[in-house]
Amino acid sequence: MELIRTPVLELTRDQIVTRIERGAKQRLQLGVRDFIERYRTGVLEDPAAVADLVALAALLDDSDPLFVRP
Amino acid sequence: MSVPDLPALLGHVRELTRQYKRGRPESFAAFRELVQLLLQVTVLGSGVGVRLTRGPRTDRMVMEGAVDDLGVIRMNDGRYLRVSIVLFREPHQGGYRLKVEQASYQYQLDDIGDHWVFRYDYRRDPADQHPATHLQVRGVLFENVPLYHGVLERVHFPAGRVSIEAVIRLLIEQFAMGANTPPEIWRAVLAESERPFEEIAHRPLSGPSA
Repeated sequence: MELIRTPVLELTRDQIVTRIERGAKQRLQLGVRDFIERYRTGVLEDPAAVADLVALAALLDDSDPLFVRP
Repeated sequence: MSVPDLPALLGHVRELTRQYKRGRPESFAAFRELVQLLLQVTVLGSGVGVRLTRGPRTDRMVMEGAVDDLGVIRMNDGRYLRVSIVLFREPHQGGYRLKVEQASYQYQLDDIGDHWVFRYDYRRDPADQHPATHLQVRGVLFENVPLYHGVLERVHFPAGRVSIEAVIRLLIEQFAMGANTPPEIWRAVLAESERPFEEIAHRPLSGPSA
């Protein structure tokens, strides 16, 4: 059986943030910083609904400005 | 699709399993290829399967459905499965292991996911009170009980760790999804792949201990 080949998708930090931002706004009416803050403090109502966005955030460095509280 | 050679398929599954269990940098690709094989043998309905996505962190990757940037695959019945798995390498007994930080599978009627049916979710270290492994079903609870009074989708049912093989079986056996190969092929392939997963899968408690 011939398997479908799919190249690795390389995303920059800004591309990841843009995807999270778009998804969080469409589905939760939240900005990206608010979304990350709510997830990391355990108050996001239903994280599984946006598991794909949470997964993308896992690709950012721990020192990313999004993870630093203002 | 012609009927594939079962011994060759099972051999391919074993080899990919051996590769991802070694925890080397190339193990990410082996894991993706294994999942791609499982999907092609079973429910994949288009030429687009799963891909690896990488960002600034070099120690982890996301395996997700590759339809646009929606994280979904299109299945045989025209519906969708959202697949999202965060993989990372961790030192283990002098070597490395490929591990899963979080995994989510959502069966949905539309590509966006407004019309989802069920989803399984696993997170190794959740920050909230929901069970680390749980099942949600978007339906109606007929009896009027607290907390959500009929809105079933808000309930996070604790579940054991659920493999992608189990989700595929569920779609075929319980949701009448057509398969790309005969049952004697896809059942054997799923079993060959699921067995090692069950041996090494992390099984968290059903909630926080404090």
